Amino acid sequence: MSNAIITTRELTKSYSSGDVSTHALRGVSLEIAKGSFTCIVGPSGHGKSTLMHLIGGLDRPTGGSVHLDGIDLSTLDNSQLAQMRCEKIGFVFQFFNLLQGLTAKENIEVAMMLAGIPEKDQESGALRLLGMVGLAEKADAKPSQLSGGQQQRVAIARALANDPAILLMDEPTGNLDSEAEAEVLGILQGLHAAGKTVVIVTHNSEIAKKAQHVICVKDGRI
Amino acid sequence: MTLSKLVFKNITRRRGRFVFTLLGITIGIASFVTFLSMGGSLKSEINRESASLGANLIVTPMGSCAYEQVSILTGEILPSNITMENVAKIQAVKGITAVPLLTEKTAIQNRPVSVNGIDTAKMMSFKGWEIGKGDYFSDDGQAEVVVGFAAADTFKLDAGSTIVVRGEELQVKGILKETGGKDDLTIFMPLSLAQRLYKTGENVSFMAVKVDNLALTDSYIQQIKEATNLGVISDKQMLKSVLSIVGTVNITLQMIAAVSVLAAAFGIINTMMTATYERKREIGILQALGAKQRTIFTIFLLESGFYGLIGGAIGVVLGLFVSITAAPYITQNAFTTFVKGSGNGGMIDLKIVVGSIIFSTLVAIVAGVYPAWRAARLSPVEAISYE
Repeated sequence: MSNAIITTRELTKSYSSGDVSTHALRGVSLEIAKGSFTCIVGPSGHGKSTLMHLIGGLDRPTGGSVHLDGIDLSTLDNSQLAQMRCEKIGFVFQFFNLLQGLTAKENIEVAMMLAGIPEKDQESGALRLLGMVGLAEKADAKPSQLSGGQQQRVAIARALANDPAILLMDEPTGNLDSEAEAEVLGILQGLHAAGKTVVIVTHNSEIAKKAQHVICVKDGRI
Repeated sequence: MTLSKLVFKNITRRRGRFVFTLLGITIGIASFVTFLSMGGSLKSEINRESASLGANLIVTPMGSCAYEQVSILTGEILPSNITMENVAKIQAVKGITAVPLLTEKTAIQNRPVSVNGIDTAKMMSFKGWEIGKGDYFSDDGQAEVVVGFAAADTFKLDAGSTIVVRGEELQVKGILKETGGKDDLTIFMPLSLAQRLYKTGENVSFMAVKVDNLALTDSYIQQIKEATNLGVISDKQMLKSVLSIVGTVNITLQMIAAVSVLAAAFGIINTMMTATYERKREIGILQALGAKQRTIFTIFLLESGFYGLIGGAIGVVLGLFVSITAAPYITQNAFTTFVKGSGNGGMIDLKIVVGSIIFSTLVAIVAGVYPAWRAARLSPVEAISYE
């Protein structure tokens, strides 16, 4: 695949606890094309989330390599890795992971601050993103005042704060009812249509059906 | 959003913990400022008293200790061991003006007040006093007193009023103009009257000496010592020794206050450590959003610094308030007499204000280094997976 934005080669990840070592990934090689909609599926505990963490530079592999937009992540130090996350990736998690003390708008503003967007431009940007996920009127609501679906939409808006090329999502609909799931899915399809590379780790076969590519991870292999 | 706004929102989110951690540093800094400020006013009062003494040399009984030197400045009771014979010998030394003083105390309206027996003929010009109301003493030995400005004001005395000292009714002959020193708080009476009332015999407490030629000070000291076998110190020596005692007391008090600031610093460490555990997930979220280790470190260090800054600012205000309002209520003793007498317990010294806030902030920042370092070193995956 010539236009791959994500490439992994023989990716392994193992965890040791005393004499016992657990292999989460056992040599995963894959390529994900720029602008594609990819789902990583597989049973629980078989390495899907670990794969996403390694692709997103949240963790480091035991062996093998990850190339993101042509950059070998193993050559980056922690600070450069953070910078890369900041510039290229937007994360969405199953449990939304919003900062509880802040409003929806402020959650997005924090991501913008970290991306180096000046304070004066943050508010308008945050409101625009909230509008995009249909939550402009909830800008000043705290996460505890929002439903699960609304929280996840705020999390998606936050993931877009740095205008990333890649969206990495770990079970984005895992905690949502079917109505909220449909809303979120609609947003994700819209983002894909807008040219974003969307990678979703999921159990949900409905989402997998809508994906262009499906990668199945089982026992740490694909 | 800016880092400092985020930090402020973080610390004020947990109000209970915020308040209690803040109280620790506030109390520490408040006591620090109280001691510092009262110590500062004590020193300036001592300098003022020394200047208002109007003497170049002080003659005291042989072997007088530093406490007695302090008492000369504060107007406390001193042993009356210098005989009139020695007074005459000292007054006979050429090139000096020497006045005897007998320092005692009495109570008016149940409040203590200093009484000085003086050589009424010489004292007026020696001290450069001016009469504000009424007259100065007419003849030595009369049952009359002249009252300092502040004492007259406190006890509502006027020329012609009477006071009772040791059972004897004395007439207030006049009120002195304000001198700015402890004379304002003193009741003056002829030496012979004081000696009779206080049954000290023909003795005085100390002598204040003015020299005609400062260059010959050492020679005058020698002459007085040879003539009388009494102790002689210069006003500068006395000031130095009194200031050194006050300095030691101040430093001790400040060290105690510094320990309380240190204890508060451990409170901050504790709060920040708890925060790193509690907010593990939050740290993971920030890392996923692209926060670098140094950003996480800065956030936690700023939080810690905020405690110091806010606690320090409140502590300074509280400390100044205490030093100004509580000082006059502190039990009167040689040291606090100054503070009480000055009517200006604590001085608002900009150096103390700014210095204490900087000190408090620095202590808090140092206290925050380890927790911030711990927070910054968390692995993103571990942090974000934290339940």
